Amino acid sequence: MVQVDAGTLLFAAIFTNNILLTNFLGLCPFLAISREIRSALGLGAAVVFVMTCTAVLNYLAYYYVLLPLNLDHFRYIVFIIIIAAFVQLVEMTVERFFPALYYILGIFLPLITVNCAILGASLFLIIREYTLVQSMAYGAGSGAGWMIAIVAVGAIREKVQKSAKLPKGLEGPALTLIITGIMALAFTAFSGMIQIQ
Amino acid sequence: MKKRLYSIVFMFVLTFVFAAVVSAVKVHNEERIQINQQVKLQRVILKVLGVPVDEKAPNRVVIQAFERRVKAIEVKQQTLYVGYGEGGKQITGYAFPVGGAGFWGPVYGMVSVDPEASRIMGIAFYRHSETPGLGARITETWFTQQFAGLPIFPVEGDKKIFFLKPAGPGKGPNELDAITGATGTSRAVEAFVNRDLDRFLREMWKQVKKG
Amino acid sequence: MPKPLSSSQIFLQGLWNDNPVLRQILGICSTLAVTNLLVNTLVMNAGLIFTVGMSSLTVSILRNYTPMKIRMMAQTLIIASYVIIVDIAIAAYLPDISEALGPYVGLIITNCIVMGRCEAFAMKNRPWASFLDGLAMSLGYGAVLLIIAVIREPLGFGTLLGYRVMPEGFTPWTIMIMAPGAFFTLGLFVWFLRAKFPQTAEEKKQGH
Repeated sequence: MVQVDAGTLLFAAIFTNNILLTNFLGLCPFLAISREIRSALGLGAAVVFVMTCTAVLNYLAYYYVLLPLNLDHFRYIVFIIIIAAFVQLVEMTVERFFPALYYILGIFLPLITVNCAILGASLFLIIREYTLVQSMAYGAGSGAGWMIAIVAVGAIREKVQKSAKLPKGLEGPALTLIITGIMALAFTAFSGMIQIQ
Repeated sequence: MKKRLYSIVFMFVLTFVFAAVVSAVKVHNEERIQINQQVKLQRVILKVLGVPVDEKAPNRVVIQAFERRVKAIEVKQQTLYVGYGEGGKQITGYAFPVGGAGFWGPVYGMVSVDPEASRIMGIAFYRHSETPGLGARITETWFTQQFAGLPIFPVEGDKKIFFLKPAGPGKGPNELDAITGATGTSRAVEAFVNRDLDRFLREMWKQVKKG
Repeated sequence: MPKPLSSSQIFLQGLWNDNPVLRQILGICSTLAVTNLLVNTLVMNAGLIFTVGMSSLTVSILRNYTPMKIRMMAQTLIIASYVIIVDIAIAAYLPDISEALGPYVGLIITNCIVMGRCEAFAMKNRPWASFLDGLAMSLGYGAVLLIIAVIREPLGFGTLLGYRVMPEGFTPWTIMIMAPGAFFTLGLFVWFLRAKFPQTAEEKKQGH
């Protein structure tokens, strides 16, 4: 029912309605990991992949299994199970074929399961009544947006902590939150960019 | 082997128990949730038709008011809500749903026109997924108030009944303020409200006039 | 084996010493979004307290029967079930708020606090203690978010619980309704608290 084409949706999900900077989702690992750029990039890539695939899988599960059987109130359980199973699959694959990446990511890989952003994306696409293609675009865009946010804030944080002498109590989560706030503010500037016919 | 079997049985029983509890809660509340949806829609219809109902009024008050003052009729496979005066005899206006693709998700609204279908009486948006502080401002009074008294008429070709232009002075009679910073939402609202008004005038109104 | 904590100790730990949000910066995802209106925050907190409390209780009752290997799955199932119940209850009795909260109620499932307490405490402690722990943690978390809401709603909407509290001429700070406002408020609050009450040795080291 939504008119927006997939490309615009993807773009908008990254900038104007960033799942982290606008919808507050995916903050926990964000605060913990945004210290090192390399791990942030690796985690971000994993999140993009998981988010896109689970968006599609959950879409199919909802519209082809849950709704027809009038079991849509079980969607929370079904979605989280699908996400957990998929992440487990990804973890096993990465461990087998990309051991270096597995070493870098460590414990953060299984923690993707409880990343609010993953479940959040699936829930949002149901509420907004997206089609399959739109869901895919939204999932990919949200993941990419999350990755950009985490890398950007991480980079700034790294720089600030190295070069500045911080006032008492600011270091750590408080600083990260304030930097995130400024970044969220900056991203709202994008809201005027999107034009749809 | 015994451990594995135990694990499987455990999960099965646990799932069964909790699924049963959740289902029971759902079934118990299903009717209530449905009535809530229904009453919500009725509130919006009463609001645009100008029937005063307190925001905090309980469900049965709303239902009573609705049954007294509104009649739903089917015209060309669409629902039209006819508003009546206190006596229940005189028609005070017509309300019908408007809606379409917003920027982030479907937007649902209700618009009402006067008994001659010459002007808009009111409009309200009751469901949307637009960005808070930006597109979500379509529910604010300053925005919906603009539509009150707007003349409506069938249009030809690419013409529109009304336009949403960037906020500022120097507007024509059928130009209303869009929401600053929410171009996508504003354009979407302009598109579907125009479309639905036009459809009402062309299809439904003719039928209603016939009686 | 360390001496089991007394009830009041457990409570205090959750509320202040180990306050999830302030000390561990956990689980802000699902609730920070709704802190632009106090009433939404209150309902969300109620939902969270119910979920954490009941989940911890249930997990604790079943802890000796739950096979180690599948405990994560079991915990997730239990938590998700309680969240669904909360969601249905809010939709049935507070429909307008349910609409405003949107998907954020469902996201309580992924809220680190719920799973965290189940795993860290409820799996190893008795039901009543676990219940208290869950209650305390979620109350401590809720308190912080209430404070944030009390700052955001008046500044962003000019109201508190729907009643106008700001003077007539006040222009609302729209930024407070949106994400940046929440980040700034929480960030400043955490900064203030950490500067005033440095807790751990690590934090003391940082305070130069």
